[in-house]
Amino acid sequence: MNPWQLNPFQFVLLLLIAGLLAGGILALLKGWLRRRDAILWLLFWTVGAVAVVWPDATSLIAAFLGIGRGADLVFYCAIPILSFGIWMLYIRLRRVRREITLLVRHVAMLEGELAARGDPASGPAASPPADQSTR
Amino acid sequence: MGRARNRCEHEVDGKRLTPSMPADTGKEAQIARSTYVVVPAFNEGAAIRDVLAELVRVYPNVVVVDDGSTDGTFDAARAVTPYVLRHALNRGQGAALQTGVDFALRRGAEYVVTFDADGQHRVEDIPSLLEPLAGGTCDVTLGSRFLGMQSQMPLARKLLLRMAVLFTRITSRLPITDAHNGLRAFTRAAAERLDISMDRMEHASEVLDIIRRRRLRFREVPVQIRYTSYSLGKGQSARDALRILLHYLIGRAVR
Repeated sequence: MNPWQLNPFQFVLLLLIAGLLAGGILALLKGWLRRRDAILWLLFWTVGAVAVVWPDATSLIAAFLGIGRGADLVFYCAIPILSFGIWMLYIRLRRVRREITLLVRHVAMLEGELAARGDPASGPAASPPADQSTR
Repeated sequence: MGRARNRCEHEVDGKRLTPSMPADTGKEAQIARSTYVVVPAFNEGAAIRDVLAELVRVYPNVVVVDDGSTDGTFDAARAVTPYVLRHALNRGQGAALQTGVDFALRRGAEYVVTFDADGQHRVEDIPSLLEPLAGGTCDVTLGSRFLGMQSQMPLARKLLLRMAVLFTRITSRLPITDAHNGLRAFTRAAAERLDISMDRMEHASEVLDIIRRRRLRFREVPVQIRYTSYSLGKGQSARDALRILLHYLIGRAVR
């Protein structure tokens, strides 16, 4: 198959991937991403671009691995990659929770210190308003 | 090896320690004055006033950490002790404990005791926790409901706790007999080394990990638990236990 005869679907996908790659290169040059992460990102989307332009490539690899179709190979690869992404999000969520705790602790300590010093203006009121909106 | 170093001697000057305080009331009172009792509380408005009133009679420095309660916990505590901290959001018992310990240290505590707000602990048990610390033989004492005397505990709870103990013995590698007892005492030096990062119930296992990692000398002291319908209702179910276990394992894995 001539890779230069693209159907509209491939054309749109390639444009998207080109944008993602450009963003990755920019992030790498500007130092927004860690070098390793940026290179992984570029590698991932380069492989994606190859698969879009030349779908038979995935079939070749699939056949080599003993998987029936190229589409199945892509599907099988997507599961661990997405799982990893969710795990990374979970780790980040944990870190955010931790930071919230440290912040809440800091505020509680400040209020407690002021109240213990007998500073009526700055200590917690007799009945501080509970932040109901967060529960 | 670490285990041997972690355990503090059960004997002081060759004589066995008794669970009661020595008759030297002057010293006892001095220790009580330099002790801060940290009480984490979440929606304990119904019980906390009586618990605190009993505490402040002996220990004037009681630090309550209201962990974002939505009932009258804050006001009830405020009526009894001046040290009431408030978490603006509910962050869990582990987080509340660490906040209270930090505050107690900042106020100059020599000893820090942790005490549950639901009335399950007995104030009379605190002296036997403080005694080994004051004697300089231990850095940490942990209340154990399984050591020595028995309190009237429902069978299902007993089994659940036994399993928790077995698990904790494996993960913490400390020869303990009770895993999840909220009654503990720390010297100032030990409390300064406390850095609880597991915000929720899994902190109980984390405290043991900290004891082992920091090589603190610890000892278990027999205490009694008052099982009332209120405190049992506040306890953890088997499902909670599984969730705590999962959180603990993940917490250890991703530190």
